[in-house]
Amino acid sequence: MNPCVHEIRSFLIILRRVLIQTAFVVIVLPSVVSADGQDAIDYREHIMNTLNEQAGALGQILAGAIPGDNTAAHLNTIALTAQMALKAFEPKVLGGEAKPEVWLNWADFSKRMNEFARKSAEAAAMAKQKRYDDPLLGEKIIDALSCKSCHDTYRNETKKQS
Amino acid sequence: MRQSPLCLAVVLIVSMLPMKAVHADDQDVIDYREHVMKTMGEQAGAIAQILEKKVPADNFAMHLQVLAVTAATAKKAFEAKVIGGEAKADVWMHWADFAKRLDDLSAATASLAATALSGGLAAAAPKVEGALTCKSCHDVYRENKK
Repeated sequence: MNPCVHEIRSFLIILRRVLIQTAFVVIVLPSVVSADGQDAIDYREHIMNTLNEQAGALGQILAGAIPGDNTAAHLNTIALTAQMALKAFEPKVLGGEAKPEVWLNWADFSKRMNEFARKSAEAAAMAKQKRYDDPLLGEKIIDALSCKSCHDTYRNETKKQS
Repeated sequence: MRQSPLCLAVVLIVSMLPMKAVHADDQDVIDYREHVMKTMGEQAGAIAQILEKKVPADNFAMHLQVLAVTAATAKKAFEAKVIGGEAKADVWMHWADFAKRLDDLSAATASLAATALSGGLAAAAPKVEGALTCKSCHDVYRENKK
């Protein structure tokens, strides 16, 4: 065999090994959740579950199933929790229901989260002035709680419905 | 006029029915208070992670604020006397005690949130165990069905 061809073949074999190892590091390792990584996932799930429970309670009030006494308190809780959510997602740990897009499109994700916190705080302030069944408040709440549009992009809902 | 034992039994059963049967509206009441109690569970879980240094403490004061607000909403959520879910009948049999415990929890967590805002984790952490008395209340008023 031509020594030159042999050298090229050896080089290609080494190159292939390097590429496979690099691919493993880039693709597989980030999806391996360490103990610390699981803590980060658990923490953000505590926060997102809080938002889910509070949205559920608020939904019951808006549907007329429950008296509206706690409307402002629920909105206040949502506003506070939305502020915490962004911090909870800062560690780039794949897993849970979060899609990688959260970190790939961090500027958009954090902009949406900040808007969510701002709008829910505005709705909480309005709820202290208006009755829970005031149409203006209803509109404000619907505008603030745009959960689905964000979940469609950033949440993998096939894993768990809560 | 003496009433027959059968008649007494019917009266007794009918009088007990509203306490036992869960109507659609009653299920709403149960669902609602479960939303509130689960919120407290999630927040307590997050606080525990911070105290165990598993996650950063940036949100510590806000978690306490959320607990304070939610404890206040919980009292309202339990006002409707609907037995079911994980709530024992004792909630309403000893309403004064139950309500006082929720008021105390709300006041203690609000005070702790203020401490955390001014003095940070170091100032508030030692007082958390004294404020979050979840278990003592659950032991009396919660039927753990899970």
